[in-house]
Amino acid sequence: MEYLSLFVKSIFVDNMIFAYFLGMCSFLAVSKNVKTASGLGLAVIFVLLVTLPINYLLNKYVLQPGALSWMGESFANVDLSFLSFIIFIAVIAAIVQIVEMVVEKFAPSLYASLGIFLPLIAVNCAILGGSLFMQNKDFTSFGESAVYALGSGIGWFLAIVTLAAIREKMAYNNVPPALKGIGITFITVGLMAMAFMTFMGITL
Amino acid sequence: MNTNSNVYTVIYSTLIVVLVAALLAFVAMTLKPRQDANIKAETISQMLCAAQFYTKDECSAMGNDKVLEAYASNIRRAFLIDEKGDSLRALNTDVKNIELQDGLKAQNAAIRKGKSAQLPVYIFGKDGREITVIPCYGAGLWGPVWGYLAFADDAKTFVGAYFDHESETPGLGAKIKDDPDFRAQFVGKQADWASSPVFAIVKGGAAKASEIDAITGATMTSKGLGTAVNTWLEAYKPYFQKK
Amino acid sequence: MNANLKETILNPIFKGNPITVLVLGICSSLAVTVEMKGALVMALSVIIVTGVSSLILSLLRNTIPNRVRIIVQLVVVAMMVILVDQVLKAFAYSIDKQLSVYIGLIITNCIVMGRIEAFALGNKPIPSLLDGLANGVGYGLILIVVAFFRELFGSGTLFGVQVIPNALYEAGYVNNGLVILPPMALILIGVIIWIQRGIQKDLQEK
Repeated sequence: MEYLSLFVKSIFVDNMIFAYFLGMCSFLAVSKNVKTASGLGLAVIFVLLVTLPINYLLNKYVLQPGALSWMGESFANVDLSFLSFIIFIAVIAAIVQIVEMVVEKFAPSLYASLGIFLPLIAVNCAILGGSLFMQNKDFTSFGESAVYALGSGIGWFLAIVTLAAIREKMAYNNVPPALKGIGITFITVGLMAMAFMTFMGITL
Repeated sequence: MNTNSNVYTVIYSTLIVVLVAALLAFVAMTLKPRQDANIKAETISQMLCAAQFYTKDECSAMGNDKVLEAYASNIRRAFLIDEKGDSLRALNTDVKNIELQDGLKAQNAAIRKGKSAQLPVYIFGKDGREITVIPCYGAGLWGPVWGYLAFADDAKTFVGAYFDHESETPGLGAKIKDDPDFRAQFVGKQADWASSPVFAIVKGGAAKASEIDAITGATMTSKGLGTAVNTWLEAYKPYFQKK
Repeated sequence: MNANLKETILNPIFKGNPITVLVLGICSSLAVTVEMKGALVMALSVIIVTGVSSLILSLLRNTIPNRVRIIVQLVVVAMMVILVDQVLKAFAYSIDKQLSVYIGLIITNCIVMGRIEAFALGNKPIPSLLDGLANGVGYGLILIVVAFFRELFGSGTLFGVQVIPNALYEAGYVNNGLVILPPMALILIGVIIWIQRGIQKDLQEK
C-alpha cells in the first residue's frame, strides 16, 4: 500500500516536470511529435530506473556519514557526502552513454531524431534531481527507491507525450508567426503546469 | 594515437576519475577544520538569533570568535536528553571547547524510527529568566531544512525561532530564513502540548495560538518545515511536560 | 579582432541566445528568477563556469575518447564547481551560503554541457572560452529580464528594495501571487521569444 501511494504520488503530485520543473530543456525541444517524445520518455524512465537504485546503494554504503562502517570500526566516522554530486553524475553519465550506444545500434532513426538531446539526458535535471531527492527523502529500502524512480519516470513520460500530442494538433492552428514553434510551446507548458498545480496538496 | 581503442578509453577514464577524486579528497580534507569552525559559529549564531539575543544582521556581522564568546557568556547549561525526556549528560560550554549536538540528521532519523535519540537542550539566561533553545530538522523541497526554537520559562510560549536551509528556492522557500516576518510570527505563539499536532504551519488564516501562516508560493517548503518542527516538538514533549 | 571571433561573441547574446533560440538551461531559469539578486548570482556563476569549463575541455579535446566524452565533461564541470564550493566554504562562508543553492543547478545546466558538446570539443581554446563566456552572458540577460518582471509584479520589490509605493497598496493594489509561481516564468519566456521573433523575422518557425 505504501509503495502504491508513493508510486501514484511520484507520477502526479510530485511530477518532475510540472511540480519541480526538472528536465525542461529536452522536454521542450524533443516534443514536436509523439513518436520521438515517447522514445525519449522511455529512455528517461529506463535511465532513472537504473541510476536511482544504484545511487541509493552508493549513498547508503559509501557516501553517507558513517556509511563505510561495514568496512570496519575505523571507517565509521568517514563522511564522503561531498562526493555525492560527482559520484551521482558519473553513474548517470555512464548509464546514459550505454543507452546512447544501444539506441545508436538498434534504432538509428530514433538516434538521429533525438540528436544532441540523447547525450543531454545526462544533464537532464530530472535524473540528477531524482537521485538528490532520493538522498534527502531518506528512503528506507531499495524497493522504495526503485518505485520512486519508476513513478517519476512515468510522470516525465506522460508529461512529454501529452505535450507532444498537443503540439501535433497545434500544427494545424493559426498561431501568430512570431509565436509559432517554441514560443507557443512555452505558453502551453505554463498553462499545463498551472493545471497540474491542482494536484499539489493532495495527500495519499 | 588511437583515442578510441578500448584500452585507451579504460585507462583514460580511470586516470581522470582517480585524479579528480584525489584532488577533491585532498581539498576537502585540508579545508575541513576551517569549514567545521565556520559551521559551528553559524550554528551558534542561529541559536542566539532564535533566542533573540541578536538580530540576524548583527549575527552575520560578528566574527567566529565573537560568536563563540557571546555563546559562552549567555549559556547557563547545555545537555543531552533521551527520548523519554531524561537527562543523559552535560555538554561542554567552555568557550574553547564548545560542544554541540550537530548530528541533527542522524537524530532526525532516530526520532522518526522511534529509536533511542540524544536530543540537545540549550538553556540560556536572559534578564534573570531562562530561555530554552531546541533544534528541529527535516526535509524541505530541495534539501534539508533545520532551525532552532526558543521557549520562555513557562515551557510553551515561543520567544523566537530561526530557520535555515541548504537549497530552497531563492525568493520562495528560502523565505523561511530570509523573511523576518515569517520568523516573527513565532513570537508569542504557543506549543499546544496536549494536542497533536503540537504546532502547525497552515495555509492562509492561522487561527489558533499554536498555528502560523505558511509562505505563499512555497507550499512544499512550508509543509516540510511544519513536519520538521512538529516531529521534533513531539520528541521533546516528555521533557517539556516534566518541567 | 577578426569577423569570426566577433560573431562567436555576439551571436549567443541575441541571435543565437541559449534560452530563447537554443532552448537550453530552462530548468534553472525557472527556479532562480523569482528575485533579481538570485538571478544575478546565478548569471555570474554560469558565465564563469561555462567559460572556464569550455576552455579546459577544449584543451583536452584531442585526448578524450569519444565513447566516454560525456562522463569526462561532467566530471570536469562537477569537479570545478565542487572545488569552488569547498574553498568558499572555508574562506568566505557567507558568500558560499548564497551560492550553495545553485551548485546543483550549475552542474546540470544544459548550457554548460550543450556548449561543450556543440562548440568546445571542435574548436581551439580561445574561441571556446569566448563562446562559453558569451553564452553565459546571453543566458544571464534573459534571466535578469524575467527576474525583473517577476520580482516587480510578484513582490513589488527590486533587489529586495520596495519600489511600488505604499500609497498604491493603500489604494487597493495587491502583489500578483501568480507571477511568483513557476508557470508564469514559462509564460514570460514565451512572451520574450514572441517579441524577439517579431523583430528577428528569420528566426520564425514555419
